[in-house]
Amino acid sequence: MKFPSWTGNPTRRGELVIGPLMILPAALGLCIFQFWPLGVAILNSFRAFNPFNHRPNGWVGFGNYQAVLADPSFQSSFWVSLIYMVLMIVIIIPSALGLAILLDKRMPGTALARGAILGALASSEAVAALIWNAIYQPNSGLLDVIFQTFGLPSQPFLTDGHLAVVCIVIMTAWKDIGLPMLIFLGALQAIPPHLFEAASMDGANRWNKFWRITLPLLRPSLVLGLFMTTIAAARLFTPIQILTAGGPNGQTSNIAYFSYAQAFLFNSPGPAAASVVMMLLMLVAITIIQARALRSRSGI
Amino acid sequence: MTKSSDLPGLKSSLSRRTVLRGIAATAGVLAMPAILPSRAFAATPGSNPGKYKIDLGGYTGPELTNAPITLKIMRQEFPPEVNAVMQAQYDAFSAAYPNITIQEERVPYGDLPTKVQVYVTSGSAPDIMMGRNDFASAYAAGQLTLPLQQFLSADFIEDVYAPLRESATIDGNLVCLPWETNPVYMAFNRDIYDKLKITPPPEVGEFDGGWTVEQYMQNFDDVTKALRASGDTQTFALAASGYGNGGPGSNYTQLESIWVRMMGDPKAAKDSSVYNTFMGVSEDGFTASGYVNTPEAAAGLANYQTVFKSGYTPTGVVPDQFRGGAAAVTFSGTGTVKRFLKTGQPFNFGMSPAPKGTIAYTTTVADSPTIYSGTPYPAETAALLAFICNDANRFAFHDAWGSMPVRKTLVDALPEYASDQRLVLGTNVADNAFGPPKSVGWFDYFSAINPAVKDIALGTDPQTRLNDVATQIDGLLAKYK
Repeated sequence: MKFPSWTGNPTRRGELVIGPLMILPAALGLCIFQFWPLGVAILNSFRAFNPFNHRPNGWVGFGNYQAVLADPSFQSSFWVSLIYMVLMIVIIIPSALGLAILLDKRMPGTALARGAILGALASSEAVAALIWNAIYQPNSGLLDVIFQTFGLPSQPFLTDGHLAVVCIVIMTAWKDIGLPMLIFLGALQAIPPHLFEAASMDGANRWNKFWRITLPLLRPSLVLGLFMTTIAAARLFTPIQILTAGGPNGQTSNIAYFSYAQAFLFNSPGPAAASVVMMLLMLVAITIIQARALRSRSGI
Repeated sequence: MTKSSDLPGLKSSLSRRTVLRGIAATAGVLAMPAILPSRAFAATPGSNPGKYKIDLGGYTGPELTNAPITLKIMRQEFPPEVNAVMQAQYDAFSAAYPNITIQEERVPYGDLPTKVQVYVTSGSAPDIMMGRNDFASAYAAGQLTLPLQQFLSADFIEDVYAPLRESATIDGNLVCLPWETNPVYMAFNRDIYDKLKITPPPEVGEFDGGWTVEQYMQNFDDVTKALRASGDTQTFALAASGYGNGGPGSNYTQLESIWVRMMGDPKAAKDSSVYNTFMGVSEDGFTASGYVNTPEAAAGLANYQTVFKSGYTPTGVVPDQFRGGAAAVTFSGTGTVKRFLKTGQPFNFGMSPAPKGTIAYTTTVADSPTIYSGTPYPAETAALLAFICNDANRFAFHDAWGSMPVRKTLVDALPEYASDQRLVLGTNVADNAFGPPKSVGWFDYFSAINPAVKDIALGTDPQTRLNDVATQIDGLLAKYK
């Protein structure tokens, strides 16, 4: 690699000084708020702690990892994390794509729908969870009242483990669908119209145009949306905390909630850090698998 | 008409000065009822006027610094009228000590224990943090709080009701200062009972004079059936819990443990299951298996489960359900009585003891401010705490909030606690209530059992879930050995 000479073009020389200075704040921010805490978490995962003041008081090797892996709650949280990821991808990506296509058609009410979706996106996660908590309440919640109106029995939305997982995903999808939808909408509007005109002249129907033109050209945006949704699903915490607190029977607790409980409810910072590191490893593995699978199919 | 000078023996002594003295004495006697309360308070261990710039109550430490300092307080959120009382107290303290600035942070009540943990971990906690007496063992073992007896008079500490004082005292150190209590018993809506023509729980003064748990369950069933038969689907026999953050599994220490520990007996043989059920944890505080998952405990939580399964109470959180007139009965305490009497009762209500199992059991838990062991201003912090806890300030607080004072002289000075059955019962409950199981890991225990209790409320088999949580708690407590 050949580096530009300091004695060369004065403009280039200026860039060499100003360029690093420009990225320094962002790099410092990343180091202080991302990499340093990550390093501390990794170190803490090998430490023992005073349970009263949470200060480290020795090293335990892989003891925290062994303890966490042997904990049935962690095992359950691991699988629940995967379920959240799958459900959120299955619900959010197709729904966001469908909404983007509808909004792209500029039908009556499009502006209102767009505003509503973006409004949900802009709302606080905690506030959204509280609203949905009221909607899901047995007997007095909006959904149950609708069910009662039609003579249907009251549903245990947040008190049945399986149903609660779905309810949390629906609430999160309602809240978060706006961002992938915006990405898809932007990509849709970037597709040159003449491609569709040419396809029409060749006799392609709507489905053919969607399958042969729209979807392939949306693939980079779909990949981005997929990654974002996966990571959002892995980080899911606020709705779990507010709607179910991990229950019933820990059936809605994912690894993020498990880590929180270890750190803040059970005075166990070491196992909490170990579970965080394992969540990180899981995310890296899933992201690599996703990237490879999509790269092999799309060639990107 | 006889002149005074004609009376034998008075002639020589009845001077103008004597008459004036007599008038003054008479006026004093006549004025006594008006000034008696303040004099009585001044004589109590919680009032100490004149010694410092202001009445610092039971404080006996050194005079406060003149240097500019800031004291931080973290406490739970109260209604605006109570917050105003607290703010007035801070203002009064700062007026007397202008160099001392007070900063306050308010958090939701149910989040207090976690917030304390987070602050302690940070190594920079507020000088005063609102704690609870059930966490006293952990405060002591972790040396998280300053022993308070070094700043407070012995009389002042002795004035705190014995069960509360003892629960806050570990190895002779008062690690937190109980400052209000809400002994748990039952409030009922007489209007609902009258409307349904069903007999309400008995209004008695004795803590053990109430219904058994079976009688309460039958009553809940009768009320529920009558309500539903009348087409009322919104009113419940038993209100949703208003403790902690509300709903099932809200606050085991204060509420749900009643269902469990009433099935035990502290006077039974020490190796018996009934005794262990009452204890809740082994004597060394490190083992829950065999204590929290006994057959008696499971039976107690099966009763608890029934109130949800049978629709006697809602399965979710319903704020202010009893106060809103949408429940016949609620677990409550003196706070409800005082608030209703002060603000005007929304309906006719009565008070009755909590359900009885093997024993008449109820809990005594007190919010208890602590002084952070890392505070740079221990004396000033203790003085501020003592000021907030002086007689006048406690009366103002209890008047606004309605909770029961933790000091006997304060309760004795409030005549309604001796005359109103609803409050007399409260004082008897406070005298006979039990503290939580003592374990340095009570926070872990508490955090693990609340969701377990919620799961049971929502339908999980009590014995199976208790076995699981007992194993979990054993694992959690192991790190404290």
